[in-house]
Amino acid sequence: MISVAPDIAKVTNAIDPSELTPELTALEMKNLSLHYGSKQALYNIDMKIPKGKVTAFIGPSGCGKSTLLRCINRMNDLVDICRVDGAIELEGKNIYDKDVDVASLRQNVGMVFQRPNPFPKSIYENVVYGLRIQGNNDKRILDETVEKSLRKAALWDEVKDRLHDSAFGLSGGQQQRLVIARAIAIEPKVLLLDEPTSALDPISTLTIEELINDLKEAYTVVIVTHNMQQAARVSNYAAFMFMGELIEYSDTNKLFTAPSIKKTEDYITGRYG
Amino acid sequence: MSQQLTQTSNKDQFRKVKDKVAKYGVTAGGLLVLAALLMIFFYLLYVVKPIFDDVDVEHHQSIALNEPLNTLSIGVDEHLETAYRFTKDSKLEFYDLHTNLGAKIFEHAFDFQSEVTSFAQSAPHLNLYAYGFENGQVQVVKPSFRITFPNDVRKITPTYRMPLGDAPLELSEEGDAITQLAFSISEETTGFIFTNDSGELFYKQLLAEENFMTDEIEWVGETVAIEQIKGNIQQLHISPDLSRAFAIQGTLLSVIDIRDIDEIEILYQINVTDFNTQITASALLSGANSILIANNEGTISQWFEINGKNGREFVKARSFKSEEASVNAIYPELYRKTFFTTGAKGQFGVHYTTSEATLFTDSLTEGSITHLAVAPRANAVFLQADNKLQLFHVENEHPEVTWSALWQEVWYEGYPEPDYIWQSTSASDDFESKFSLVPIAFGTIKAAFYAMLFSVPIALAAAIYTAYFMPSPVRKVVKPTIEIMEALPTVILGFLAGLWLAPIIEDNLPGIVIMLMVLPVSIILVAFAIHNLPKAISNKIPEGLDSIILIPVVLFVGWACFAVSAPIETLFFNGDMRLYITDELGIDFDQRNSFVVGIAMGFAVIPTIFSITEDAVFSVPKHLSQGSLALGASQWQTLVRVVLLTASPGIFSAIMMGLGRAVGETMIVLMATGNTPIMDWSIFQGMRTLSANIAVEMPESEVGSTHYRILFLAAFVLFVFTFIFNTAAEFVRQRLREKYSSL
Repeated sequence: MISVAPDIAKVTNAIDPSELTPELTALEMKNLSLHYGSKQALYNIDMKIPKGKVTAFIGPSGCGKSTLLRCINRMNDLVDICRVDGAIELEGKNIYDKDVDVASLRQNVGMVFQRPNPFPKSIYENVVYGLRIQGNNDKRILDETVEKSLRKAALWDEVKDRLHDSAFGLSGGQQQRLVIARAIAIEPKVLLLDEPTSALDPISTLTIEELINDLKEAYTVVIVTHNMQQAARVSNYAAFMFMGELIEYSDTNKLFTAPSIKKTEDYITGRYG
Repeated sequence: MSQQLTQTSNKDQFRKVKDKVAKYGVTAGGLLVLAALLMIFFYLLYVVKPIFDDVDVEHHQSIALNEPLNTLSIGVDEHLETAYRFTKDSKLEFYDLHTNLGAKIFEHAFDFQSEVTSFAQSAPHLNLYAYGFENGQVQVVKPSFRITFPNDVRKITPTYRMPLGDAPLELSEEGDAITQLAFSISEETTGFIFTNDSGELFYKQLLAEENFMTDEIEWVGETVAIEQIKGNIQQLHISPDLSRAFAIQGTLLSVIDIRDIDEIEILYQINVTDFNTQITASALLSGANSILIANNEGTISQWFEINGKNGREFVKARSFKSEEASVNAIYPELYRKTFFTTGAKGQFGVHYTTSEATLFTDSLTEGSITHLAVAPRANAVFLQADNKLQLFHVENEHPEVTWSALWQEVWYEGYPEPDYIWQSTSASDDFESKFSLVPIAFGTIKAAFYAMLFSVPIALAAAIYTAYFMPSPVRKVVKPTIEIMEALPTVILGFLAGLWLAPIIEDNLPGIVIMLMVLPVSIILVAFAIHNLPKAISNKIPEGLDSIILIPVVLFVGWACFAVSAPIETLFFNGDMRLYITDELGIDFDQRNSFVVGIAMGFAVIPTIFSITEDAVFSVPKHLSQGSLALGASQWQTLVRVVLLTASPGIFSAIMMGLGRAVGETMIVLMATGNTPIMDWSIFQGMRTLSANIAVEMPESEVGSTHYRILFLAAFVLFVFTFIFNTAAEFVRQRLREKYSSL
């Protein structure tokens, strides 16, 4: 089993998430509730997500962790029967305000999905997709962005000779890193990762986890995972959710070693199957 | 344990049998489908092949002659049972070709009062012969066959008739000897054109008059001298309908209008061959609209009258270069445009004028062919060569078809210029079928083009909207509804288009044109308005029902367009747009035109394109579109840059399926077009398609005829069309799929 020990030094100095100052906060959820039709999926969630750190959402299937993640870049807007109450503030601005442009929000909050989803285009075109839809077609800028993003996604050396080949020629792990490169090519502030390794083999998973560790230098990363070892390995902060409620949220080390709530302990010790 | 593995229970046995049966059943089914396709393919080829077969000439029998130089003319009956020979000593001999090989079975010596100075044969299908005498009289003779059935056995008794009466008729009023003669009988009129021994040319017209006392037929007529043409006339011809006479002097051809005996007119005088050559033979082609002229260099040219740019003209349409150094004589076939040539060294050639094909050339005999007669059914030639009368069977079923005649411009008799024409039948007997596949292949493409023009934008837009934007409860209703349209019998669509839609379009042309422009614009405007409604109002519209608002809009715009149609027509088009575009713009308007077909066939094609496109767009994985949206793309950008790209193989095959359907569609084009095989891209003109052509003409074509086989060829072309379309489409689709298939 591959295992990456949590960074002890950082964790011991960690601030309790509820005490984060506004300068250190990337996102703040205020009394966030979400309904799918008449069914409520999220209940009054209040949390602050720290800037430049990796925050993991964990919990059993159907607990609402992915739904919460999708609220952050308003992907839930695509579901017609979905209604969101409360607020999510990105750098002090409520993203659910009427004057917010969803497209530019999503340019600031990138997202990577469970299954690698490269577009049926070349590697190059996949990476520059976000720039092209913003109307940026300057060849020099695009070339620079491709190299920079692929280097950041630790993919450059593997694909630099076949940038114009189809993205489908890559392996699953490479595709997922390509998708990450695509997301960071438009320089988002926050990067949402929705179970990014669940469709990958262990070696690819390890590569992605190392990548996540590097990415937090530049981006605020929020990751949803149901792999607790992964959460423990990659995250600085972890939030345990259950039945649409935020049960416990603290620094990762504390959550896994000394959970303060019984449900959390039951879950991390494996009593929820 | 090992026992358990090797033992098989009855149940396992049964399962194995079922597996085997299923395996072989499925394989056999697949192979049968392939075999059926191949059989269709080869059956079509098998029916089509004879039209491209070579001409086959085969010696059948010979009759030795005692006095070969004595022959004036020879002939054969239509069953190839009896042959006859006119001799210079005024005898008519019959030979049995059927039972008693070569025996002379009947001989009649005519008892003429005056010396024979000329002999002429009518157009071959009339089978009349005339003797011209020194005293200026003429006697017309027809060999004939009396068929009796003694003891139920068919017996042919050869005999002869004198169709103009037993007594010779007086041609030359002065009693001059008749040196050249040509004649024909058309209904109640007989015409003779002749020269006397001083080289003067005369035309005599005789009308049959029934004597009301005795019921006898008397021939009454008058003779007119044609003084403009004088001296040394080598050949004379007269058309069987007695409208034209032709005289050849040296290289000069004179065409004479003889329809009105009181106004005989020289229409044309043309040198029909180079001055340093000589005319060696000439003949009227069957139908007598063309004259064939052969010169001593072996060139045979065809001339006919056309309605050209500068009025009527007599032109050379084409020429054949015969291998024979010099053509001795030309023998046209009785009913088709085939003609046979003979050369000095026994060469024998078969040519067909309109297809410009030399079908056969060979030396059949050692000596030169001195006389030749074409059998009435064109299945044999009867000729004299090497002191023998010889019968050759000729297999020449489909001379008019060559690959180039099917696909290239052909200059038909009487047409001002070469053209692509499909005209398979006509009321006239001496009609020549015109089989150019170009106009009907063109019609097929034109019909498919207008149908696609109408259907592709609508079907694609509808499919994309349904798959990508429509709420799923509405989609579940809309999709099957549109797909059910496909089950609508096309005969109903064709019927509605031809009898209901076509007159409406004709009557409200300005309204329809306005509707075509205004309707899409107003739909987009209303959609835009709905999209920008204040939230308070738009939230009250039930989910997915916003598109229903379009229904009254479409109805209103439609009504408004029809309402303004008449005033606009009055205001701008002098009250009738149809007349206006015909008279002022010079565009012909058919009631059943491409516009009607485009709409009706487009309507038939829409469900096909819609259904496949909808599936293709809908099956684009959601994670792809979400990936695009998550990068900040708008719905539109996602649709254009990701969804349509990924769905492109499916969309492409949808369009190709629609095109395939439009190309093969029969009933709609049959009923909603005028079925006019013309080549004109105009949207206000009709067309005839390959499939409709087969449907229209197959019932009336004779099995095994050229027409029948060409219809099969049309089917084969259609088959190849669709085969190529589908293969190309499948190829492109596979390439697209390789490139854009999602995970």
